[in-house]
Amino acid sequence: MIHFKNVVKRFGDRTILKGISFDLDEGEILFILGTSGTGKSVLLKTIVGLLRSDEGEIYIDHQEVTKLSEADFAPIRKKCGMVFQHPALFDSMTIFDNVAFGLRKHFKMSEAEIKVKVRNALTMVHLTGIENKYPSEISYGMQKRVSLARTVAIVPRVLLFDEPTTGLDPVTTNAVNMLIRDLSHTLGATSIVVSHDMACALAIANKIIVLDQGNIVAQGTPQEILQCRVPLVEDFLIEVKNDSQLL
Amino acid sequence: MTPNSFSHYILNIFSEIGSLILFLKEVLITSIKYPSSRQQILEQIWQVTMQSVSTTSMAGFFVGAIMAIQFAMQMSEFGAIGYLGGLTTSGTIREVGPLLIAFLLSGKIGAYTSAELGTMRVTEQIDAIRCLGANPIQELIVPRFIAIVISSFFLLGAGLIMSVFGGALMGYLFAGVSYEQYVRYIPSLITLPSIISGTFKSFVFAFILGSICTYQGYKTTGGAKGVGRSVVNTAVLTMMCIVVADWITSTLSDLILKMITETIH
Repeated sequence: MIHFKNVVKRFGDRTILKGISFDLDEGEILFILGTSGTGKSVLLKTIVGLLRSDEGEIYIDHQEVTKLSEADFAPIRKKCGMVFQHPALFDSMTIFDNVAFGLRKHFKMSEAEIKVKVRNALTMVHLTGIENKYPSEISYGMQKRVSLARTVAIVPRVLLFDEPTTGLDPVTTNAVNMLIRDLSHTLGATSIVVSHDMACALAIANKIIVLDQGNIVAQGTPQEILQCRVPLVEDFLIEVKNDSQLL
Repeated sequence: MTPNSFSHYILNIFSEIGSLILFLKEVLITSIKYPSSRQQILEQIWQVTMQSVSTTSMAGFFVGAIMAIQFAMQMSEFGAIGYLGGLTTSGTIREVGPLLIAFLLSGKIGAYTSAELGTMRVTEQIDAIRCLGANPIQELIVPRFIAIVISSFFLLGAGLIMSVFGGALMGYLFAGVSYEQYVRYIPSLITLPSIISGTFKSFVFAFILGSICTYQGYKTTGGAKGVGRSVVNTAVLTMMCIVVADWITSTLSDLILKMITETIH
């Protein structure tokens, strides 16, 4: 479904991604972990063309996307829904219009159909009765879930999550992580989650990639990652063990 | 400043100008190929006009008042006080009105637009628009750009009307000029070229403001600090460019007027 082949991304003199390669099959959940500034979000943004790679190839559904023009990216973006680090909701629109935005742009639907789809999407993220509110009138955690609803409303085949739990309390973090798992299964979507949360990755991912300084230092199933002896991965695992001991 | 850093500074300026030209090209192409919805443009025009009409009107009133006081002192010495209204209004239309309104819009709408777009950029709303299948230039930039240009004409009109009232009041209070006397020579002293000159200046200033504030906001990077930087850049650059553009348009319109007058004679 998604295939990265020696992808390189530079910003001026700095090389952020140094030849990234991996494969992800349909319906799988991939977690990308790493310390801040290692290029995790950059990697995610190259998939939907928000950033363009300087070298290498990216295939989505067997289609090479790195050379596509902005206009030609439209069908790819219809396939790939992205949840950003910030809720990125449009302040001037109601929650209903925020969730309906992608439906109105990507599809030709009647307002009645849009209404049903919006309601379904909000129900999927366990939010009801807030359609007429503005983003500033709901909590940050709810904004994150509306952002999820806006993404799943277009029923994408690929779900991309850029640190979806950043800034959330532990209870909401857990709820959002469970939502990611449930939504991926319900929609049958292929998911890529950029995160710092190794415990969550071990619990719900099919594959895990650990990035360091723009390189993949570890890659495999949760079981393989648990056996990995790379120092950075061990640091992440120690963190998980410490947390579980505290509990 | 070392020669190296100076050359880097100059290179940066040219790089920014090039980037702005490419941005304007994109805005122009998008507005032709993918026109923004009429409702979005009207909403923006309404918002920009309503946000600034009170400030512009108040400033127009006081500009008229100040100019009337300044002219009244000198004109009464030459026994030409009857022309106070005409001269004050003509000066406001040709020079002070467009410049003042451009400065006010720069401080209010320019800073607001730049901060709004900058915040949308750093909170990934612009990326979200792209991901959801829309074109941010079409959705955000074109309606704001058109609104700033169109609203500046409405605001110029409002400012000028209020400047007549301000001038007439000061003319009455300080020079004993009645309202009828004040407005009597306005039609004869306000010629078509002065209206065209004022309107053209207003258009040029609004175009500069629209270009700089949308560009600065759209290209914002670096979080809250970046938004602050964009707002400051917008304020400083628009003021500087408007003053330079005022000098160019004044010189040009004077030259054109002279040519027209010579051709007629």
